[in-house]
Amino acid sequence: MGKLLQLLLRNGGFVTFLMVELGCFAIIVNFNTRQGEIWANTTGIFGGRALEKRQMASDYFSLYEKTDSLARIVDSLQARLSNARIMQVSIRDTFFRVNYDSLSRTDSVRRKTIRPQYEFVTARVIKNSIAGANNWLVINRGSVDGIQPDMAVVSAVGIVGIVRHVGVNYSLVMSVLHRQAKISVALPNQKNAFGSLTWEGGDPSEMTLRYIPQHFVVNNDEPVVTSGYSLMFPQGHPVGKVKGSPKTDPENPYFLEIKVGLTQDMSSLREVAVVRNLFKAELDSLQTKIIPNER
Amino acid sequence: MNGSNITPHILRFIGLVAVQSLLLNQMTDSVGAYFNVLLYPLFILFLPLQLPAPYLVILGCAIGMAVDAFVPSWGVHASAGAFSGVMRGLSLMPFAPKGGFSAKDPIFSPVHMGWQTFLQGAGLFLALHIFWFFSVSYFAPVFAWEIVKKTAAAWILTMIFVALYSAMFNPKR
Repeated sequence: MGKLLQLLLRNGGFVTFLMVELGCFAIIVNFNTRQGEIWANTTGIFGGRALEKRQMASDYFSLYEKTDSLARIVDSLQARLSNARIMQVSIRDTFFRVNYDSLSRTDSVRRKTIRPQYEFVTARVIKNSIAGANNWLVINRGSVDGIQPDMAVVSAVGIVGIVRHVGVNYSLVMSVLHRQAKISVALPNQKNAFGSLTWEGGDPSEMTLRYIPQHFVVNNDEPVVTSGYSLMFPQGHPVGKVKGSPKTDPENPYFLEIKVGLTQDMSSLREVAVVRNLFKAELDSLQTKIIPNER
Repeated sequence: MNGSNITPHILRFIGLVAVQSLLLNQMTDSVGAYFNVLLYPLFILFLPLQLPAPYLVILGCAIGMAVDAFVPSWGVHASAGAFSGVMRGLSLMPFAPKGGFSAKDPIFSPVHMGWQTFLQGAGLFLALHIFWFFSVSYFAPVFAWEIVKKTAAAWILTMIFVALYSAMFNPKR
């Protein structure tokens, strides 16, 4: 300590000043609320930009994979959008069937065009973690891009997470590899088999599916998709495949405990899409009216 | 500095910290946000002119920390004190006699420099200290105009108190 002090004194006031100021700065941002908040915001903004720059540099060396990945996302989204636009559902009008029985007036079928329910905003993952007990991602889309909390984040081949905190230009996404993340999923090969998918830590390529009743015969490699029962994830988006044989859920013996291997490798996330449910406000509003009375 | 020379500085340290913490900071709370008097930098100003800059920085930081402990504004006064320590030599340079300060001028006080030179030197020194203090307090360039306004108000008030202090105690060493 004495030698350090002597070194400082020998090297002049400016070096001493810089070192003392560094200490003062650390104290100021750690022990004063206002300065601490300003510092946290500033580092958040510049940290985000720095991370993005670093990501851009590394992206340059994997342009082929990126283009390929983007093309697949665009294809997938284009197909979804096109299907949603052209999809029509027939509604048999039983009330007017007597009046509409003439072929000249068309038959007693009315056609209603279904409006698209979801929009997809492409985003780039600039920070990702998979090794923690609860994992988060940062994406380069924020409130200026129309991102809001509780929007789902998906990739072309799987699910990624749920937007939790939204900044102006960036958003913090709770990864599916977070213990609080619960995704409503279905087994499309089974009839009415819906359950809840959670991550229990450990292997980042595997999640656990619960609340599938015992009477379902679930096979290895059977696909798992989103159920569409949440307002966030669109129905039928790929999630993963059943891994191994299902076991009886030790917490609830009437149900199965199924391991699901994720189709999206969470360690190599780059391009993702944020899902905007265009009817979310309406559905939320309806739910607020129903739930208090029903509960 | 020998033992007898240190005593006035220790007393000044204790006295200025007490006045700053127990009186002047309380006045800011009761009178208003624009009433800021920063008298404790006088301890740094009145340190011996021959004292090397690193000591000034460390002693400036020390008195700032002592004031911070009472406010509490952890690190803000300490930072300003350290800044004043490194800037004292530069801010007093224009007011030094030809050939620089000599041993005949132990401290920068009205007794040794004359009132006019003292007030000019102290004015520049305190302006730098106060500006740094408010810059660190607000901590963001978006508050630049507020920093300038508060610096101006605090500088005027502080100079009045500095003149009163110097007239009352008339420090010689």
